[in-house]
Amino acid sequence: MRITRRTVPVDHLLPLIRSWIEGRKRGRLGLITSIDGRELIALVLDPASGLAEIWASAVDQDVYRSFTSVLPQAHWFERAIHDLFGLYPDGHPRLKHLLLHEPYDPACFPLRSPHLQVPDRVDDRTYRFLEVKGEGIYELAVGPIHAGVIEPGHFRFSCLGETIMNLEIKLGYVHRGVEKRLTEVPWPKARFVAEAAASDTAAANALAHAIAIESLLGIQPSPFAQAMRTLALEIERLAMHIIDVGGMGTDVGFLGVSSSMGRLRGQALGMGQMLSGSRFLRGFIRPGGTNPVPAGRLGRMKEAASQLRKDLQPVISIFERHPIARGRFEGVGKISKSLAAEFGLVGVAARASGIEYDARSSFPHGLYPAYAPPIAVEQGGDILSRTRVRIREIWTSLDVIERVLSDIPSGEPLVELPDSLPGGAASAAVVEAFRGELIHLILTDEAGAIRRYAIKDPSFNNWTGISIAIRNNLIADFPLCNKSLSLSYSGNDL
Amino acid sequence: MPTLKLLSYLIDRGVTTVKRICPPLEDDARGMPALTDAPCEGSGCQACEEVCPTSAITVRGDGGAASVALDLGACIGCGLCVETCPTATIVADRSTTVAATRREDLVLTNDPAEIQARESERAAARSEPNPFAKSVHARVVSTGCSACDAEIGASGNPIFDIDRFGIHVVASPRFADALVVTGPVGKGMQTALRRCYDAMAEPRAVIAAGTCAISGGVHRGGYAEANGADKILPVDVYIPGCPPHPWSIIHGVLLAMGRVKARNSGLLPSPQRQSASEKE
Repeated sequence: MRITRRTVPVDHLLPLIRSWIEGRKRGRLGLITSIDGRELIALVLDPASGLAEIWASAVDQDVYRSFTSVLPQAHWFERAIHDLFGLYPDGHPRLKHLLLHEPYDPACFPLRSPHLQVPDRVDDRTYRFLEVKGEGIYELAVGPIHAGVIEPGHFRFSCLGETIMNLEIKLGYVHRGVEKRLTEVPWPKARFVAEAAASDTAAANALAHAIAIESLLGIQPSPFAQAMRTLALEIERLAMHIIDVGGMGTDVGFLGVSSSMGRLRGQALGMGQMLSGSRFLRGFIRPGGTNPVPAGRLGRMKEAASQLRKDLQPVISIFERHPIARGRFEGVGKISKSLAAEFGLVGVAARASGIEYDARSSFPHGLYPAYAPPIAVEQGGDILSRTRVRIREIWTSLDVIERVLSDIPSGEPLVELPDSLPGGAASAAVVEAFRGELIHLILTDEAGAIRRYAIKDPSFNNWTGISIAIRNNLIADFPLCNKSLSLSYSGNDL
Repeated sequence: MPTLKLLSYLIDRGVTTVKRICPPLEDDARGMPALTDAPCEGSGCQACEEVCPTSAITVRGDGGAASVALDLGACIGCGLCVETCPTATIVADRSTTVAATRREDLVLTNDPAEIQARESERAAARSEPNPFAKSVHARVVSTGCSACDAEIGASGNPIFDIDRFGIHVVASPRFADALVVTGPVGKGMQTALRRCYDAMAEPRAVIAAGTCAISGGVHRGGYAEANGADKILPVDVYIPGCPPHPWSIIHGVLLAMGRVKARNSGLLPSPQRQSASEKE
């Protein structure tokens, strides 16, 4: 996507972001980050018009006035900027490390290039949890290694009896240095690193990467490639939504549903393999288009899609009508619409709280917005609403897949790419991954090398959602509530 | 009665578990690369080396046939080398029995002397009684991007049904015989992983599942020091793949139990020889 760039004084940045969000019907903050520690940059989006702008502000003495107390959704961004660039958000109400903890040298700011201007602001990276005080309050520490087969993170519950008073989440355990690596590898090989940001979201990450590179180069893939990309993105959504709904079955002890959904997800992964040769759609979407798709595969995929629809119907209908499942879901783990908006939640979590935002309807990627299905919105904000949104999206993903397969446009899968990227350029891509809005942002230096590659995973917005949802709920409802938000650790930690 | 409906649905589906253990993947799968006995033309062609995104391939030789070394422990299965190779020295391999007990066995070679040496070493190695032969309880620690975890999860679904082999995934290192590590083990997870291992009773085995856990994969050499599990713990079994297929995971755990053989170091027949033998 082409974006307008502007330079603004750092004091104006916060009022400008606020007026963008409040002044437009659906204005959003995409992300805040820095390029190399000398400045702040903000990407703002307008889903109504498909517009995006980047605002850059120079930061003096490595310190700026924190945005968080007036713009709560900035809190996570400011913590990440602090860790990666050493920029200090003065007045942040609860500044803690987000990504780099005790194992890292206190003076390690991996994405920063100039030396720190105020070295004595460096701390020893010790993490202190918020302490809830009062008679009968106890703490429960879970993780980083969890009981199940799942990515690592630490949850610190402060409880009174069975009720959770506060949940604080410490992440960063799977920080692998993805953003830095993306600036180190030659750009034609960067797609494999971009995919590994979170491999359950490989297709969406590859797509965002491809779009960002293509708009730097000013090239457009063929309609055929756009159709194949749409299939890949929807197959990924389908497979992950199926297993996430199945996981809800596991967490209410409804094992017939969860094992059936596990099996049916296999059918969706099989469709991914038909398309790309890989169950996780790895290495399929690439700048310039996609890999070629052998003849006959698309016909088989059409059969597989209608078979999967048939096989899903009885299981989902039994699950939807089951009174015990409903009893566990309804009114539990609520996120109000106003808090969802204030913290900038995206994807299923936002739509289940009444926020009508699906990047497929707003920003061009694949055959979208032309093929965008109706946005699935629920008003309850609880586990039931999130499950319902997910189930509706299973059906609309299948609709899109069948619609694309019924009329495949012609064209070559791949167009030739130039050897080098333009210098001093900026581009961004916004893709609706199965968890929600995914952003890749690329800035090149004068020689055309990638100077800064920023990824904003949907979970980066949504992690705060679990702390909001579980407050004043029972500890026994936590696994279910967590599953209903389906958060990515690796996408957050990068 | 939704529960009865579900029961009748499940009975209607019948048994979905696959009977044949670790079959090769379907034809539409990309698989992993493997070397054939078709000689590499060498002399200047380094196409595979150049396209490989993780520098897993080295071509050595001056004039005439060259020797190729392909490290499956660094390979992410992108398939570019297979596409690029003009001599069919590198082909797609859809075998799921890919795990090895020694890191060096994952470095495929087409050097006949080297293959011979490995095979005789393997023949000479004495097999010791394996304490996990009947059953193994595994603790899975994820340090990566969740694809390997998803495939471990899938290996427990009704299609693959890992439990039928006496393999059980457990929730505490105290219950565990084997530690399955996924992901490249960056700085953030090194202490937790070591503590998990320390909490396990002996005898214990460590299985590195997936290319990141073996070598760090695309993350190798970065500031997060995410260079694989064997930089932190002694590893007994390596399962290559990005991510490994559920069958490959099952093969790897069975290998840790001493119930199957590790991958062999021999070369595949070249496509010409293969089609000739099929005609016969």
